[in-house]
Amino acid sequence: MVPWNFLYENPLTQNVISWFLFFYGVALPVVIIIGAIGLKGFIELTRFEKGSTFLYKLNPVTKLVFGVVVMAVASTTIWWIGALLTLAILPLYLTLNNGLKKFLYVVLLVFSTIIGSTWAIAPYTPTSVLELVFPNPSSYETLWVWPSYFTYMGYEPVLTLQAVIYGLQTSFRVTATLVSALLLILTTTTSDIFRMFTKMKIPLPITFSIMVGVRTVPKIFEVLDTSVKMQLLRGLSYNKPKVLRVFYYLYAGIMAIVPAIVYLFRGAKTLAISADTRGFRAYPGRTSLVNLSFTNLDYIMFAVIVLLIIVDIVANLTGFGRTIPYEGL
Amino acid sequence: MGFNGISGAVNEPGELPWEVVVGYFAIALAIVFIIGKKYGGLKAFTTLDLVYIGIGGAFAMVWEFYIGSFIGRFLPSTPFVSVGFWGRLIIVFIVAGLVRKAGAGMLTLFIFDFLSDLFHYGFGGEPMFFIYETLTYGLFVDLMIVFTKGKIFGIGYTPKEVDQPSAISVSRTNVLAALEGGILGALWALPDPLFYEGFFGPFIYAYAPNWGKIIFHIYAFLPGDIIMGIIGGILAYYIARAVGQ
Repeated sequence: MVPWNFLYENPLTQNVISWFLFFYGVALPVVIIIGAIGLKGFIELTRFEKGSTFLYKLNPVTKLVFGVVVMAVASTTIWWIGALLTLAILPLYLTLNNGLKKFLYVVLLVFSTIIGSTWAIAPYTPTSVLELVFPNPSSYETLWVWPSYFTYMGYEPVLTLQAVIYGLQTSFRVTATLVSALLLILTTTTSDIFRMFTKMKIPLPITFSIMVGVRTVPKIFEVLDTSVKMQLLRGLSYNKPKVLRVFYYLYAGIMAIVPAIVYLFRGAKTLAISADTRGFRAYPGRTSLVNLSFTNLDYIMFAVIVLLIIVDIVANLTGFGRTIPYEGL
Repeated sequence: MGFNGISGAVNEPGELPWEVVVGYFAIALAIVFIIGKKYGGLKAFTTLDLVYIGIGGAFAMVWEFYIGSFIGRFLPSTPFVSVGFWGRLIIVFIVAGLVRKAGAGMLTLFIFDFLSDLFHYGFGGEPMFFIYETLTYGLFVDLMIVFTKGKIFGIGYTPKEVDQPSAISVSRTNVLAALEGGILGALWALPDPLFYEGFFGPFIYAYAPNWGKIIFHIYAFLPGDIIMGIIGGILAYYIARAVGQ
């Protein structure tokens, strides 16, 4: 029994607080994303910038293998290994160009992902799934009892401490992967990724489309950002109370989608023409001025990767293997 | 413990028999080869087509994981509403309308999967998702392109008996766009419950399939996906015209 049980036993406070919690779970990650990270932050976190520190010097293959291994380790071991990996990778962002800024953005992104994933999992996880992690349902501690109609939204009738822990644990699988995947994007030029795929003998048309895609992701945020600003400049939300600003921003964001799609597709012609004028696909193979090689830094990184694999194996042998069933994630 | 986050569970109680799944994907792959041979495969795409596909894949990814998941937070969680998935559906239909060559659907889904892995999932469970998504969602779109002889959603279609391209032909092509979009939308509602929940979910994450849930999800996905398919078809028609195809 929790000390605040009188709050959910009284229907009035139960309803008010439940809706507050519902919106808190929904709104907090959104407020973090809009208010603190913003579209600018997303551009910063998805766009390559030239740099000279060690992550920029690594071979793209090394970084890709690192990302895949981090993901594999995080998804086959106990949750705290994923959490430790997240914490260990985060400081690497400080070594990037504009490191502190990128670090702060990525910390906020990780934090909002943790809150978002926890709230996306905890209220919906049935006891049958929880039992796989915490075998004794009678020991579950009730944190909150939702009004009965919350079950229509897919909520379990009761929110337990165990469900929150489960949600939190699962979120670390996502964050470890997220921070390692973004590192590759931030420190590798699209043409280096292109070279890597050519070496791996992936057909040129597929590689080209992938590169257009990778290049377009930050551009989408940029185009949306410009479109939102244009709408605000033209007077949207002018003379309106500041509290409503977020809603206007959201409205402008939704209104920006169709023009952004049309704008990007129209721009496709220019890109295709410029690729064609550079002789793209004139010959079946591709020649390259830059030869990607493996340096000592790569070998150090490979040692780290091997170490991670050993950690994974040891963890599994000693019973710290995949202990969270994560349904549908 | 398995490979790349895949548990490899087959013959779980209630799981779709692996023979059925392998059979489907073998037939699908055979169809892909036949289509590829007949219509030129990857070589048939111009550079412009490849750019459309790349941009479409990127937009579908940004929609599903950033914009759609953001909007979805404001809506109740129910299988009837799936803003992220609907966005992907509409964008893939638009790309199909712009490219109109067999293979466009599969390649867009492949790029979408690759980018989602790069930015979000980190290649967990691959290559299962590449195989599953390109040979279901992508292949359905491509089959529609083949069936309509490259005039998907009525783009480029002119009824024979009409002398001048008047309002009649426009309204007729709109009906075609809505009809084809609706059929494709209905098809898009099936792979997730059937293949994902019935086989790949248990196969990759080793959870127990639940056929009550699978059937319910088919019913729940159908209305929304059909409506979005119709909207997607019509939108593809207009955007293809706006972009100047």
